[in-house]
Formats: sequence, C-alpha cells, structure tokens
Amino acid sequence: MTFTFGLVHAPLTPFAGGRIDTRTYGKVLDFHIAQGAEALALPMHAGESVSLTAVERQDLLAFAIRHVAGRVPVIAHVSEAGTAIAASLAAHAKAAGAAALIASVPYYWTPPQHMLVEHFAAIGSAGGLPFFVLNTPSEMADVEFAGKSVVELIGKLPNFAGLIDTSLDWQYMIEVVTVARAERPDFQFVSGTEYMISASAIGATGLLSPLASIAPRLVSNLYRACRAEDYGAARPMQEDAAILFRLMRDAGVPGLKAGAAAQGRDCGDPRAPLAAWRDGGALQTAMAQARSFAAEPRGWA
Amino acid sequence: MTLVLKGVMQSPVTPLKADFSPDYGTFEKLVDFHVRTGATAISWPHHKAESHNLTIAERKALAEVAIKAVAKRVPISIHVSALALEDTFDLARHAQDKGADAIIAITPYFWKYPPEAIYDYFVTLGTSFDLPLIAYNSPSYLDGIEFTGELTARLIQRLPNFIGMKEASFNSEKYFEILRAALPLRQNFAMIAGVEYLLPSISLGGAGSYSSAGAICPNLCVELYESCASGQWDRARAAQYKLSQLWQLFRDQYPSSLKGGCVIMGRPVGPTRPPLPTASPERIKFIEKRLAELGILDSEPHGW
Repeated sequence: MTFTFGLVHAPLTPFAGGRIDTRTYGKVLDFHIAQGAEALALPMHAGESVSLTAVERQDLLAFAIRHVAGRVPVIAHVSEAGTAIAASLAAHAKAAGAAALIASVPYYWTPPQHMLVEHFAAIGSAGGLPFFVLNTPSEMADVEFAGKSVVELIGKLPNFAGLIDTSLDWQYMIEVVTVARAERPDFQFVSGTEYMISASAIGATGLLSPLASIAPRLVSNLYRACRAEDYGAARPMQEDAAILFRLMRDAGVPGLKAGAAAQGRDCGDPRAPLAAWRDGGALQTAMAQARSFAAEPRGWA
Repeated sequence: MTLVLKGVMQSPVTPLKADFSPDYGTFEKLVDFHVRTGATAISWPHHKAESHNLTIAERKALAEVAIKAVAKRVPISIHVSALALEDTFDLARHAQDKGADAIIAITPYFWKYPPEAIYDYFVTLGTSFDLPLIAYNSPSYLDGIEFTGELTARLIQRLPNFIGMKEASFNSEKYFEILRAALPLRQNFAMIAGVEYLLPSISLGGAGSYSSAGAICPNLCVELYESCASGQWDRARAAQYKLSQLWQLFRDQYPSSLKGGCVIMGRPVGPTRPPLPTASPERIKFIEKRLAELGILDSEPHGW
C-alpha cells in the first residue's frame, strides 16, 4: 500500500441555493484532471471542508470518487476537532475508495504534542490508507507537529506516509525531512503552498495546490521545473505564484472563488460565515502583476 | 561601491580569557583560521560574537584586530548595532576610519516603531558614511519588527551604498518578498541567509549566508555552498541536512554550545560572558558525541 504524492490539486466546492452544486462539481473535477492534476485532494480548506456537515463531506467524497472513476486517485481530507469523529471520516473514506488520507492537527484545541501523536495514530489506523499529516500552524493557532512527534508517529503508524507543510519555515522543514527520513527513508515531504522552489530544494517531491483553481498552468509549470531542479527557470514562475499566493492568503476561499469566477468558472458564493469577495480591484491588480496569468485557461475547457 | 558579497561568510565568535577579558591573540588566530578555510568575507561582531556583552571600547579594539588579521584578503564588515543609536554611529565612524569594507546594522533594538522609522534610520546611517551598508532583518528576535519588500526597494532607490541584507527569518515568503523587490533594482544586491540555510535560499536566488558552524566545520560550509552554486542538489541536500542538525545543536544557548564545540575541535576560544552560560563539561561531552555521529571529527580540521 503505497501512494506517491505528486502534483495534487485542491478543488473548490461549488454551492447553489445553499447546497452543494454537484453538477458544477463534476465540471470542477474534470477541469482539474484536464489541467494535469495527478491526484485530487478534497474537500481541503480551499474546498470549505470546515463548512460542510459530516454527511455532506461523505457524500461529496463518494460523488467525486464515482465521477472521477479512476482517472486519477482521490485523496480524502478528514481533519476534525474530535479524534473519534476524524477517525470515522477516515474509515468512511477508505470504504468509499479513497487512495490516501490527509489530516491536520485538531481544530480549536491546542493539545500537547503527545496527544497530537495519538490523534493522528487513531485516524491513520482507522483509515488504513497511506496517511499524510497536514502541518499548517498559521491556520491552527500556531500548533505545529514537531519533528520529534513525526518520529514518534512513524514508530506507531506503519501507513504514515508523509507530511504536507505550509509553514514556509526552513528550520522546521529541514528538521522534519532529516529526522523522518532517518527513520523511514521513503517518508514523503510535500509542499502545501506554491513556494515550491525552496521546498523542492529541501526535498519536497509533492505539491498540494489551492492556487490550481485559478492558475493551473503556472502551478504545473512551476512544479515541473522544480521537480527537474531547474530553479533558474522556475524563478519567474515562483514570482507569479508568490503574487497570487499573497493575495489569496489574505483573501482566502472567497478570493479563490472570485478568481475562478473571473476566469469563467463560477462556483457560487462561499458559505457563511465567509462572504463573497468584493475587492475586484485587488484581484485584477494581482492577475495583471503575475505576468504569466494571461495564459491561464478560461472557462471549463 | 563595487563590493559584491557571496558564498559562506564567517562571523567569528569573540574569544575570551578565563577571566572573561578579550583574548586578542586567539581572536587574531580565529579570524585567520576563517580566512584560510574558505570564508568569502568576515563580519564581526554578530550576536554570536556576544556583541551586546562587549563595551563600545572593546568592540572598537577588537574590530581593529579583526581588520588587521584579515589583511585585505577578503572583505570585512563591522556590525555596528548597539542598544543606543549614538553608539551605533560611533562604531560606524570608527569602522570607516580603521579601514573596514562595509558596515552591517539590524533594525533598532527593543522599541516598537512603524516601518517609516526603519526607513529613516537606515537613510541616516547610509548617508552618514561612505561605506557599503548591509541591513539585518531578524523578525523573530525583534518581535515582528521587519523589512518588507517595499521598504527594501525604497531604501535601495535612496541609498547607492545599500548592497545587501542579512535575512534571518528562515521563511520562504518573507525572504522571497525582499529578494524579488531588491534584485530588479540592484542586480548584485546580496541576499544573505542568517546562518547556513543555503539550500532554500540559493535556490530562490540568494547570494550566500553568514555562518554559525564555520569555526567547527569550514569544509562542510564550503561543500554546501559549492554544491548549491553548481546546482548539484543531491550533494547540497546531504550537506544541508548535516549543517541544519549542527544549527539545532548550537542554537541552544547560542553561542555557548558553539564555543564548547570549539574546544573539541582543538581551537578553544574560552568562556561565554553572563548572562549567557558557558558550556559545562557535560554539555561539551554531548556536543562531542553529536559531532562524532555527524562525521565532523573525521572530515574537519583539528587545531589552528
């Protein structure tokens, strides 16, 4: 049971009339596959996972797996606040046919490191699929899954396959790669942001990309240049990705949805408490600054 | 203003005698050791050199020793940051008079102030002296006081002698924001990582780094820079993983653990001034064990 985390897109979740718009969701999934996604991870935070009920999350995943029909693997995001609730999502994801699992540290709570290890061990065991920890301290009240905890979890969970990082912190990233690969040489390190050059130089082999909803071509070119370790060629792409990343870091899911809509792929408004993005000016400015953006696909093609 | 910085630049520790007074003789040997073992530039006294624990008179006397010991073989910059800005300007004037090649300064300590105050400070510093100026960005140590890309760009446009930045955020986004604002305005602007995190910084377009471990493992520092600069990334990763483990080891009680490591390498540099602790014999034993595990004892020079 192995899973190689390559270029993975994190699709948006479309809503219409307050409900998940499955017809549009099918088009979203087809779009990402056509744009070169090697796998899809859903529903990530970009897919408003936190605003979906447990039943919606399960139905969404089941729909996606049926719709994708084996064209690419589907990875289930099962982060939750409670350990048992996350574990049950993981068990469901396996039964539904997911290829791998992703979970972050629990929402809201800030447990000590040994409880994080237990949390992940329970989810990973219940799921029985290749399991990836999402380390995203800036979204999680600065809770970070420490290097020593990565090593502990490797000892406890045979299917702990890798770590996805959004910290951008060189000291953390290199420590994790070093201590984890000493225990498990095939431990995968994945960039959870499009700052792919530095992550790739450090040893990341995968990319989980929220920006793929608005700039799939840029993401794909940047990923490929980095995998070839041609960082000189990657640098102008990294500049464009940085412009879009910084806009969307502030704008969040509403920004991504506004960007996708501006590109002819309307996914409806985000669910409350998020509100539709109204600053079209910032969006236009960033899209104009990121020089390669003009070549991005428009519509669902 | 043609000073172009790159590679791994060494910032020596300050050797002290058992009574905590400056050990000028050993300092001279240490500076010479760094130059002979591949330092592309010398910069002193960074925080690692206990800059805050030295009097202004000591800093001047030791700066003169360093400038003489380097003897023009590589560029030398003097770190002029002090708690009182009057002292900073005094140190900068002294560095210029005594023949330093550049000065380096961090954003002012302790106080909270708006970005405009950073701009004004560096404009005053940069226009008061003819020497090339290196800025030092350390947001985590200075509680969020930091350079942005925009501020850096404005300073480059204002100051012809602003040639580089020691960027110690260790963060891809922060580092890259400054780099991509600076390089289009000044092609040779040197983005210098705080310590040897060369893998993620050179790949982004950086020029090099200062160094934590250069007094312990100069060969490894050179190996890391050369493999990054020549695009041999597998080699670079092996060296980086090792150097990062050394940083984890030395960062704890910095620079006392580092000074403890120097004992093991046959280059003792004495104790660390309070309030920093001096590495205990047990701590030195532990450092020795880690250095052995990492293969440093076999691959690096012993003695001076």
